[in-house]
Amino acid sequence: MADGQFVIIDGNELSFEEGETLLQVAARADIEIPTLCYDERLSPAGACRMCLVEVEGSRLMQPACSFKATGGMVVRTQTPKVERNRRFLLSLHMADTEQDRERAEDANPSRIFDLADVHGTAGCFPKVEQKRSGRPQDVNKFIEFRPERCINCSLCTRYCEQIEAVSAITLAGRGAETTISTADAKSLTDTTCELCGGCVAVCPTGAMTEKPALAYGKPEKELEKIRTTCNFCGVGCQLDLNVDREANRIVKATSPPPGTTVNDGSLCVKGRFANDFVHHEERLTSPLIRQEDGSFREASWDEALDRVVSGLQGIADRHGEDALAFISSSRCTGEENYLFQKLSRAAFRTHNVHQCAAT
Amino acid sequence: MTNSIPEIRDADFLFVTGSNTTEAHPIIAMEMKRAVARGAKLAVSDPRAIWLTEIADWHMQLKPGSDVWLLNAMAHVIVTEGLEDREFIERATENFDSVRETVLRYPPEEAEKHTGVPAEMIREVARAYAGTKKAGIYYTLGITEHTTGTDNVYALSNLVLMTGHLGVRSAGMNPLRGQNNVQGANDAGATPVFYPGYQSASDPDVRDKFSKAWGVEQSSNPGLNLNQMMKVLGTDLKGLYLMGEDIVISEPNVGRVEEALNHMELVVVQDIFFNESCRFADVILPAACYAEKDGVFTNSDRRVQRVRKAVDPPGNARADWQILKEIMDRSGLEQPDYQHPAEIYAEMASLAPKFSGISHERLNADPKGLQWPVETPDAPSTEYLHKNGVARGKGLFQAVDYRPPFESADPEYPLVLSTGRTLYHYNAATQTRRSEGLSGKQPECFVEVHPRDARRLGIEDGQMADVVTRRGRVRSRVMVSRQVRRGAIWMPFHFPDTKTNALTTDAGDAVTGTGEYKVCAARLEPRTEEQPEQVFPGAYAAIRV
Repeated sequence: MADGQFVIIDGNELSFEEGETLLQVAARADIEIPTLCYDERLSPAGACRMCLVEVEGSRLMQPACSFKATGGMVVRTQTPKVERNRRFLLSLHMADTEQDRERAEDANPSRIFDLADVHGTAGCFPKVEQKRSGRPQDVNKFIEFRPERCINCSLCTRYCEQIEAVSAITLAGRGAETTISTADAKSLTDTTCELCGGCVAVCPTGAMTEKPALAYGKPEKELEKIRTTCNFCGVGCQLDLNVDREANRIVKATSPPPGTTVNDGSLCVKGRFANDFVHHEERLTSPLIRQEDGSFREASWDEALDRVVSGLQGIADRHGEDALAFISSSRCTGEENYLFQKLSRAAFRTHNVHQCAAT
Repeated sequence: MTNSIPEIRDADFLFVTGSNTTEAHPIIAMEMKRAVARGAKLAVSDPRAIWLTEIADWHMQLKPGSDVWLLNAMAHVIVTEGLEDREFIERATENFDSVRETVLRYPPEEAEKHTGVPAEMIREVARAYAGTKKAGIYYTLGITEHTTGTDNVYALSNLVLMTGHLGVRSAGMNPLRGQNNVQGANDAGATPVFYPGYQSASDPDVRDKFSKAWGVEQSSNPGLNLNQMMKVLGTDLKGLYLMGEDIVISEPNVGRVEEALNHMELVVVQDIFFNESCRFADVILPAACYAEKDGVFTNSDRRVQRVRKAVDPPGNARADWQILKEIMDRSGLEQPDYQHPAEIYAEMASLAPKFSGISHERLNADPKGLQWPVETPDAPSTEYLHKNGVARGKGLFQAVDYRPPFESADPEYPLVLSTGRTLYHYNAATQTRRSEGLSGKQPECFVEVHPRDARRLGIEDGQMADVVTRRGRVRSRVMVSRQVRRGAIWMPFHFPDTKTNALTTDAGDAVTGTGEYKVCAARLEPRTEEQPEQVFPGAYAAIRV
């Protein structure tokens, strides 16, 4: 903290570090300033204007996301003028995207409506004529861009450039035709895109959305989120499985908010999109026992478990317990690995237990 | 990892070696990208021009298997230029002199001949590494999957110790764990040498403790590790219980493994899919996947986190813990009537001091999980290790000399094959190839070949070719790419139709037994799509349900 350096926000004297923005200082004091295009991991764009606040001595309102605090600055975040701007902007964004909440949130939740719940709107404006183009020919299976819902906040392009660092998508076109596109409007699969879906995670309006979930057709708000740990590599990303409880089905995976877990709001293509296997038709659903002729038949758990136990015991009796080997998996849980080595060491008295950590 | 994933973004120097981080650990790579964007220096040592080399300050494109030469030469620069941390060496380590003596025989100019990395680059990287306080080493299987894997790790840890990059935030020695719970499986004692919590199985006191806890006298016979098991399948070993592991895809020299599996008296496979190993099974038990059960995974930075049941398993499939409990009960080893994995975790924690302060209850309360060691219920997470001095008392320097890989290129097999992972698939691809989107992005196996080698062999991009080693022959599409060095080829191992591991050698590291997946001698034979494929010599019991 700079010595004796304070700003006054809504009457609160707050200390700050050199270079901090008003938004950062306010957030530390739990003063909420609404934003649509801000993400703490990204450089501010100042595009959505939702965070405009009054700064004493400044004729115009200033964007809190990029306006730096300086000593003695007096800031007001909840004046009638500030609130009027917020309501006006929200009406404008709705006119530019979608004015019916149910339609707006047919897949992903919309922050525009969340903010409207808090700040209200300035009424229904005439619909803005749609000029942004999409990429309907994009053949990738995971990420859909719906241009009519885009507000050009550039969260997706900044995420792609600054966090995933592949710069596959970019703002393209000019003026009202500005849209999100790729080089030569190619399919994402033909660009540097790694299909991480970070663009979907940061999108405040649902313009970027998950194709498989869109096809499934149930809004995210009606799904139950179960926090769990990804089952692929060793990073241990936390993710929320979005479950349609009635259908016993995982519809999609979403990333927890930035700053809350080890993955800081990100997921990779596997964590976000590779859960199809859970409901795959080839899942094993019944114990199987090999028959004399070499083929398998379905069996009851009782029969299969007895066959396993008598088989293992028979070998232990004939050849000794060290003729058994137990190979577990780093894909299974800690508790299961504990039980597995206990099975080996306590039930069959052998230390022949290992897993793929050998490589 | 001695350090934590979130520390990476604050590092000032990253030495990434034998890790294709953007593909194998994408989210850790994002942290590295953030560090570089902030101004951190990045040195990559890898035979391939992996993505990270695009943003690296240095790419040391070494010959596969020449790591000890490179790392010892870096140490040479550090000791001859007086860049070592004398105070740390004096206070916290032992045996430095033997390493000093050894690395003096590895001057950068000689190293250039063996590794192909310019001497001046070796010097620059060594100076930058030694001269930066927050300098971390990040490595993966490119270091360990060699017959000299242990030597490579020692050579790296010598660098860490001589520069005092230990017990410091954003520094340290960081093996990036390849699987969701590989750390947790070891933590839980699924390894022949350790009981849960790294308590030695060769220590009679430890065995006594577990004999009492479990009510069964513990065997004093040493156990076999996975690589040793593979070598005595069907001979010393007669019964095999596989839980969630498809050895027929993942083990090196897989032709021999398949042959041996035919000589087993009992093979039990417990899995979520009918995998390749199921072809040799006598009994198959259907298991629940991660989304269908409760428990914990422990990630690469020792972080224990919850896994939660989201949906019910299909049909009659059951969670692995439920199956195992049944089997123990039926084997005559009566188990507590576990109703939930939280009770199993509590039993393990009561027997393993490193985790004794961890419980499901605590994990549920903290979305960031708990990093062990956590020895009491109110102890905090351990962000990085060795903060209060080296854990074993003194950091032990281990002098290592270069040894060549098990196989080198020769006139008959003039190329060097390395294998690895891609972003879009995962290991045996049991899960990922069942995703339409992923399979669409990367539908089949490929072999990367340098343009000059391709031209010399008359092979074109996209053409089919047989990759042949002393152990097998597989057909794959050719991807002509400058990603590989001349003389080197590279293949992923995810595709069951292209058994890459029929090619790899099971010659193992002397200490760990880990197979040398990263180096074997190979040749390429161009083929057309029409030419019949010669099946590699492995036994097929190809019986489908």
